[in-house]
Amino acid sequence: MAGAETATYDLGFAKWVAGNISGADKLSMCMQCGMCSGSCPIGTQMDHGPRKLIMMIRAGMRDAVLSANTLWNCTQCYNCTVRCPRGIPVTEILQGLATVAVAEGHAGGEPTARFSEAFWWSLAKFGRTDERLVTSRFYFSAGLAEGVRKSRENLAIALRMIKARRMHLGAPHKIKRRKNLQAILAKAREIEARGAGEGD
Amino acid sequence: MAEAAKTAVYLCAGCGIGEAVSIEALEAVATGESKASSCRRHDHLCDDAGVATIQADIDSGAAERIVIAACSERVNADRFRFDGTPPIRCDLRERVAWSQPPGAEDTQMLAADYVRMALAEAEKSAPPSGQADPGTSKTILVVGGGVSGLTAALESARAGYQVMLVERASDLGGHGAKWSKRMPHRPPYRLPQDNDIGALIAAVTAEPRITVHTRSRVVSTAGGPGRFLVTLDSGGTTIEETLGAIVVATGWRPYDATKLGHLGYGASPDVVTGVELETMLGAGELACKSDGRRPAAVAFIQCAGSRDPDHLPYCSSICCGVSIKQALMIRERVPDSSVYIIHDELRTPGTAEAFYRAAQAAGVIFMKGKVSAVGADLTVTVEDVLLGETVAMAGLDLVVLATGMMPNATAPEAEAIAPQPAPDIDPLAPILAAGATVPEPGSEDASEDDSGPEIGSILNLQYRQGPHLPILADGFADSHFLCFPYETRRSGIYTCGPVRRPMDMAESATDATGAALKAIQAIEAAAAGTALHPRGGDLSFPRINLDPCTKCRRCTVECPFGAIDESDDDYPVVEVARCRRCGTCMGACPVRTISFENYSVEMVSAMIKAVEVPDEFAEKPRVLVLACRNDAIPALDMAGISGTRYSPFARVVPVRCLGSVSALWISDALSTGYDGVILMGCKAGDDYQCHFVKGSAITQERMGKIAETLKSMMLEEERVVTHEVAIADARRAPELIDSFLDTIAEIGPNPFKGF
Repeated sequence: MAGAETATYDLGFAKWVAGNISGADKLSMCMQCGMCSGSCPIGTQMDHGPRKLIMMIRAGMRDAVLSANTLWNCTQCYNCTVRCPRGIPVTEILQGLATVAVAEGHAGGEPTARFSEAFWWSLAKFGRTDERLVTSRFYFSAGLAEGVRKSRENLAIALRMIKARRMHLGAPHKIKRRKNLQAILAKAREIEARGAGEGD
Repeated sequence: MAEAAKTAVYLCAGCGIGEAVSIEALEAVATGESKASSCRRHDHLCDDAGVATIQADIDSGAAERIVIAACSERVNADRFRFDGTPPIRCDLRERVAWSQPPGAEDTQMLAADYVRMALAEAEKSAPPSGQADPGTSKTILVVGGGVSGLTAALESARAGYQVMLVERASDLGGHGAKWSKRMPHRPPYRLPQDNDIGALIAAVTAEPRITVHTRSRVVSTAGGPGRFLVTLDSGGTTIEETLGAIVVATGWRPYDATKLGHLGYGASPDVVTGVELETMLGAGELACKSDGRRPAAVAFIQCAGSRDPDHLPYCSSICCGVSIKQALMIRERVPDSSVYIIHDELRTPGTAEAFYRAAQAAGVIFMKGKVSAVGADLTVTVEDVLLGETVAMAGLDLVVLATGMMPNATAPEAEAIAPQPAPDIDPLAPILAAGATVPEPGSEDASEDDSGPEIGSILNLQYRQGPHLPILADGFADSHFLCFPYETRRSGIYTCGPVRRPMDMAESATDATGAALKAIQAIEAAAAGTALHPRGGDLSFPRINLDPCTKCRRCTVECPFGAIDESDDDYPVVEVARCRRCGTCMGACPVRTISFENYSVEMVSAMIKAVEVPDEFAEKPRVLVLACRNDAIPALDMAGISGTRYSPFARVVPVRCLGSVSALWISDALSTGYDGVILMGCKAGDDYQCHFVKGSAITQERMGKIAETLKSMMLEEERVVTHEVAIADARRAPELIDSFLDTIAEIGPNPFKGF
């Protein structure tokens, strides 16, 4: 967390963020007014509000930024982006940072991160989200005991969903021609691996 | 002569006056008891027929003095302007018809008293005859050849006036000539602009009306507007010149950075001031002083020695913009550099906001925080407010201290002495009031040097008040920065540019134009023998009858403008051109030997005594209101215009300044049977609003002593009150009168009534 790392004001990280994360080229225009943090409905649930996170990027606090729960607790309501007087796409930048955090192994513990992983697994595998598999993968990502406890806790809801045909017990629904999807994803990964996007 | 003059009264019945009061009864008052030689009524005196009637009477000799009983003196001054016969204005509209119930007995008595007072004023005053020998020099002296001085000189010359421009250095341009780029002053206000001062210098040099004296200093300044006698030391040669007005544009000097050891100045050659960085930027390749490397990481520290009670307490307003300019220049020259601006509050008003955004877009990092230390290795320790941590920034190549501006209100070669704010009005300083002991002539405290520290002077004024221009708080030479910009309390001498308050080149140029216009006004007023603002056009001036004069020096000490000097035998001598006609000398004089032709102690006493005071059984108290013409009278006018009703028992006498109030008027009022006196003047103190600088303050001091006088008359001290009334106090001023009458009702009638 933030306390472990001190600010160096080495601009290397800020420049890297500006060059590699979509929308972050506008970060230098931040005037630290705090409109984003003030507008955030769950700002109190974050280690640092968006304003401070931007200041930490400038201060070169790479690890503290990438391990902050801010990236995962953002609900993407876009209040900050809409209200920013300097037109900084804050939501987009947080999302981009979250991707970097996953790639660099900073994420994992956060429920949001684990859910995102389960969601993406189902989507990439079947082309659809399967409620039963996504939910159980998410529950058991916190460990076996936690998975069992959570599953039992939500059993009644699951049964009602099955009854209402909102969840099914058979094989997961899949899209047709899943090979094409796999090809699309493989191409995307290849482009990503080539290096940063065009914007810098 | 005044007694013999034929005084004609003109009663206007328009604007509701005719409905509020009986004009016939007022005619009887004017021609009967008050002995006016003629009285005419008119339904609309200010219309062409009304004005023509008055003019015809003047032309036929039937009217030598005229009393216009109509509206306030503040309106229709142009309609009622008759050459050689200035009218006495008697306000029956704002102060009677519009603020009192129509047809009431008290309303009629009020109007009748105002007519009596106006006739008393006419009897005891005369039209001012003017000066015999006004100064007529129309050349303007501009001291200082920087942006402000150059602009003032050029603008004056282009307006058709001769200019003498004095610069102490060998070249024109001042500080402004040292900058390679300047802050943007033209759209789109985003990037540093080329410094165009060379064109300004060339224009001044080419202008035939301007004489430039470089390597020159003003050795002595005597006289007054229209006839300043100025002696120059021009590179060893002495030049004497008679000049009309003076513009002081001596600019600024940077705050002494050697006092900023805590910010690392002196510990490393790579800690520099903003001014020093300008030299480095102007030298071509940007290189660190220590080893000549290109600086890759630069931190600007804003407010270095500014807004700091231990250094300069004020904001110099330009440093934020200057640092942004320099940061952009560094980013341009060293594209891979990291540039930080560490600020407390970043102040980028107006178009400077676009400049700030441009710097952000160019990658300059703005940090909000307080720098606690700068080490010899350039590690900047900053309490980062936005991060909530104390940060030690290491690896910097250059630290720039954005130091503030100090005014050259005194001669800069004496800068070793710390700036001593010398407030012109010290509330603790003894002001000689009636009853106070008069210091021995020649003793130390007999001289009140209200001008500043004993260091080199810019103008070396040969004034009784000392050689300096008066200095306001923080060492800047100015009068009141909002109400009277450019004015200095030394008539005909104006300041502009950073000697007045911190400002940038564009502001200085605008400022210089304003000061040049003030100088032109002063020259023209001096040539016409009239007063300057705020009594512009007034031909009267203080006349001193030296026979009763006791050489007490109160007038010379208390004159806010240094207009009265002492002759070799200690008698007061008025330099009329410097006089602003406030009458503070008149109020100061214990033997009442100072008077104006159209304003005197005797005149106001007669006005006070002209009021008919009913006996105590009539239950109609009378209150005298001595109200300042500059703010209190407009406030009362505005009360009338908005139809505010207030007590009909108050009798208002407009005074030039509360400073002109003589203690005699108060004792006259109380012995005549008035139940109390209200003095309404402007705000005094450091943030004064007095149009004559310290008249209001002096009077408050004098009135502090009046309680003893009241006691000796066996009267309650509540019977005399002083209030500060601002021009916007249209609601409050009538309330003050009404509540004072409540007080009078409580303490009962004046026991002197009927004596």
